Amino acid sequence: MRVRIFDPHVHMTSRTTDDYEAMHAAGVRALVEPAFWLGQPRTSVGSFTDYFDALIGWERFRAAQFGIRHHCTIALNPKEANDPRCTAVLDVLPRYLEKDGVVAVGEIGFDSMTPEEDEAFARQLQLAVEHELPALVHTPHRDKAAGTRRTLDLVKESGLPVERVAVDHLNETTVRAVADSGAWMGFSIYPDTKMDEHRMVAILKEYGTARVLVNSAADWGRSDPLKTHKTGLAMLEAGFSESDVDTVLWRNPVEFYGQSGRLLLDDLPGFSAAPDTFSGNSVLRGGGDR
Amino acid sequence: MTFHLGYGTNGFANHRLDDALDVIADLGYTSVALTLDHHHLDPFADDLPARVSQVAAKLDRLGLRCVVETGARFLLDPRRKHHPTLVSESQEVRVDFLLRAVRVAAELNADCVSFWSGIKPDDVPAEQAWARMRSGVAAVLEGAEPLGVTLGLEPEPGMFVQHLTQALRLREELGSPPLFGVTLDVGHCVAVEPDDAATCVRRAGSLLVNVQLDDMLPGVHEHLEFGEGDLDLRGTLAALAAVGYVGVAAVELPRHGHAAPDVARRALEALTAAMPDEPAKPRHPWLADAQRAVRRDPAAVGRLFPAVGRRVGRDLARPDDDPRGLVHGGVDDAARAELLGALATVLDDDALSAELLALYRHGDDAERRGVLRGLALVGDRAPAAGLEIVRDALRTNDVRLVAAALGPFAADHLDDHGWRHGVLKCLFTGVPLAAVAGLERRTDDELLRMVADYAAERTAAGRDVPADAARLLGKGE
Repeated sequence: MRVRIFDPHVHMTSRTTDDYEAMHAAGVRALVEPAFWLGQPRTSVGSFTDYFDALIGWERFRAAQFGIRHHCTIALNPKEANDPRCTAVLDVLPRYLEKDGVVAVGEIGFDSMTPEEDEAFARQLQLAVEHELPALVHTPHRDKAAGTRRTLDLVKESGLPVERVAVDHLNETTVRAVADSGAWMGFSIYPDTKMDEHRMVAILKEYGTARVLVNSAADWGRSDPLKTHKTGLAMLEAGFSESDVDTVLWRNPVEFYGQSGRLLLDDLPGFSAAPDTFSGNSVLRGGGDR
Repeated sequence: MTFHLGYGTNGFANHRLDDALDVIADLGYTSVALTLDHHHLDPFADDLPARVSQVAAKLDRLGLRCVVETGARFLLDPRRKHHPTLVSESQEVRVDFLLRAVRVAAELNADCVSFWSGIKPDDVPAEQAWARMRSGVAAVLEGAEPLGVTLGLEPEPGMFVQHLTQALRLREELGSPPLFGVTLDVGHCVAVEPDDAATCVRRAGSLLVNVQLDDMLPGVHEHLEFGEGDLDLRGTLAALAAVGYVGVAAVELPRHGHAAPDVARRALEALTAAMPDEPAKPRHPWLADAQRAVRRDPAAVGRLFPAVGRRVGRDLARPDDDPRGLVHGGVDDAARAELLGALATVLDDDALSAELLALYRHGDDAERRGVLRGLALVGDRAPAAGLEIVRDALRTNDVRLVAAALGPFAADHLDDHGWRHGVLKCLFTGVPLAAVAGLERRTDDELLRMVADYAAERTAAGRDVPADAARLLGKGE
């Protein structure tokens, strides 16, 4: 079994170099780091641009040291869209949305579904239209089903083609509406909140592998950047083929973010894309029909 | 980055221009010196705009960079060769022609318009001829500046301005306009200059905007194939590389048109054998378009600069001997530097400084690298901004930025303390010292002391001393 993994949503800024090493060993060769809330609220546009600059510069460089292609999405996140000291960041977004490593507008969406969030969400969907980028949409922790429905309505109003939208952090109660809409379905696999890998496998059995994105969404909270890998294992145990795993963990995110025209997936100098040359500790290697 | 080997179309006078460009590109030249003449893009033709767009598209397609030459013999006066000139009675005819050439050059995205003074008529006193040069060049510059077209004055044996020192003096008297540079024919140096061609190249330095290549014998103004005269070709090309010349260096053999394809092939063989470095590759068509767009509207650089890698690619310039691109960078770095070169022709020093800072501050890692490498080309026009950018890059821990920061601009402008710490940072982070421009020239006792202390620290910890550090110390002893 050889597995290559593209984690479509992971906040590496909050992770250590040990994580990068472990991810590479588990087969992660590319990832997308969405701009999001940092835990500590920001109070000025300057701290946003420093963060964005790190996402398009420093963090890409850091990932490259471990053989991983780093991309990002850029946006004003819904939580901070409620702070008037932060909303001016919307004016500097166009500059960032032209950068090489930026493959979508995101994370946008709802936190508490306020009018301010509505406004920032709609404006940023327009930016995705203007810059010909996909959009990565966060669905709220609270009142998730209503937030998901409202999200799909706003997408429809925006004129952004629905196949350029991924609606993330879905679960059993929200997946149906998104599946029916034609948007991509994102699932964050967490140690105890959101989804776990076995519930994920059940959803894959019911809905199939098309338009499904599985991510670790690992960040500064309790989370695990190897959850993509573990989901791959759980899929194999449940009888999915290696090709199905490759569809979910590699081909799907490549297809979704590939709509930006800006993905870079060739080998980094000094690293090989073939996971087996580095994954002596990869659990998947022992179990398959190599 | 290095310069572009080319061939002059005046050496293909018996060819149609289209055919000449094909032959020149097929042989492997990456640039062309295009002499406007009655049969080669006649600047007085009724359908000039359409012809110019055709030639521009063709140059872009072939990846040929170009300069516009204005030395046609009987274009302005069918009876008197080269007449009228900048120093003759009816100077305005020549000025009008040069302004036409400037407009053509703008459309072609040419590096410059090259011109000479003309022969001083016997009855014109030298002071008057000098005054005519000043007024004539000033008039052409006035037309060239809004279009961002650079002018190159070529000292020509037997003409009023025949030595490099005269051209440099005229430039100074006109207030050293950024768009007024020098065309140097290296054969002329052998024929009439007091110094050899390599010395002339170093004297002209960053003011070189166009180079003509040919051989000559001392005292004889006859353009010869390489090896037939006294030119030190290898030394001359090495001098061009050493001064950081990245423009057009085109073979000038106007009397060899009868055998042009063979002569051009032989010339390229001789040049390739004598080159200190690999010659520059053909220019990407997108880059030529982007340069044109920036010349027309400098603000366009904000949109074009981030897109360079997506358009021209990100291959390393020398993957075999520089696998991490720390020494020679990538094709995207070189393209960004050239885009900044075009930008510098249409902005004054203050505006250029502001734009460089903005591009760097708002740039991702690749854009920042492009700005840093571009400082070799345009940094002299914006030294304060350049230093701010270099110092910022040297504070980062991204080795590609650190390496790009220590190029020729830092070698010329960075203070000793900052430069030494930059070198030490290279040793710490594994950047090869080959990436440091001017290492030999700027290495001093204090740097050697710092490196010796670093080596002692490594040894005390039971670690290897990097080979580059050992080499530097060996040299200092």
